[in-house]
Amino acid sequence: MSAMDTMANALSGWGLWIALVGACLGTYFCRAIGVLLSNSINQDSELFRWIAAVTYAMVAALTVRLIVMPLGLMATVPLWIRILICALSIGVMVSKPSKRLVPALLTGTLLMVGYGVIR
Amino acid sequence: MSSSDQPYIDPSEIALEGSAAERFQSREDAFWTGIRDAAGAPAMVLFAGMVGFGAMGKTNGFDVWFTTFTSLFMFALPGQVVLLEMAITGSSVIAIALAVTLTSTRFITMTVTLFPQFHHKDRNRSLYASVHLLAMTAWAISMREFHSIETKHRLSYFVGLGLICWLISVPGTILGFYLAGMVPPAITLGLVFINPLFFLLTFTEVNPWINRIALMLGCIFGPIFFIVDRDTSLLTSGLVAGTIAYFIDRKFLRKKAGIIG
Repeated sequence: MSAMDTMANALSGWGLWIALVGACLGTYFCRAIGVLLSNSINQDSELFRWIAAVTYAMVAALTVRLIVMPLGLMATVPLWIRILICALSIGVMVSKPSKRLVPALLTGTLLMVGYGVIR
Repeated sequence: MSSSDQPYIDPSEIALEGSAAERFQSREDAFWTGIRDAAGAPAMVLFAGMVGFGAMGKTNGFDVWFTTFTSLFMFALPGQVVLLEMAITGSSVIAIALAVTLTSTRFITMTVTLFPQFHHKDRNRSLYASVHLLAMTAWAISMREFHSIETKHRLSYFVGLGLICWLISVPGTILGFYLAGMVPPAITLGLVFINPLFFLLTFTEVNPWINRIALMLGCIFGPIFFIVDRDTSLLTSGLVAGTIAYFIDRKFLRKKAGIIG
């Protein structure tokens, strides 16, 4: 089982929970800073533009990783199937961008389930 | 979700005081309408995302407590997935905390655009509690609805809306966790796929160009840095791709009218 192999060098025990506490504090810190700054900040500042760009780049890197180089169960699906399903879902999404998130999400998820059934 | 991460809304365009009509009779009325509005398509997408997150936790060998606590106390799906992924690959605690915090910086911009719209009497220390309810879903709906809600009722509406979004995420996660153990692998496959697909789909609606370039560069640098050093790859690819996008925007795009909004 590939999930077992990956867990071998994973964080475990206390380290895992400390990471969770750190992640929670970091997330709340950003929310609290927003409240603190909501009186005074200029959102068009250079710092904000840069932080937004870094955030998007990081979420993009994560997403590509999850789709192209997944760990565990998703790795058992051939790469071209994953990419094909993504392409079809994006096709549904951009066919009418404002209202198609739910149909596009359903398309992709059901296609993935469909692949799992017929393989 | 469309405009959810757009940080560039001019605060001066937001009406701060006195909306035209009285939409709600009381704070309770506003609160319950917020709860009702939460039960639409955006909250269903959030719920599906949390189910998918629970399934990811299960299939990657985490326990139900860890997975559920993550949804309850972080309540930020991209950050939660970063935490899981980096924990699986054995990144250090510092790298994980830093990467998660960076993915959460969008909350700064979201809070800064939304919270000045509350009535000045509501703008006190209690906001430090309510802000935990803020996530993409509640933010996007509030930004759409606030202009038609009088300022004194906006906080109640937001709390009702955010509370439901937060509270459904816990049963969603638990449901996903146990479903992934019980249903056939085909269904589990679909559940695990929900979040990557959801992130990917929201990219099609990102504005302005600086953020689109950051997305494209992130897609290129992400796999490269993952091969080089996967522990820190999210941080490094985010910083490198984001900084390049920032300078491309600064050097070339900003001077051309019409390209950046």
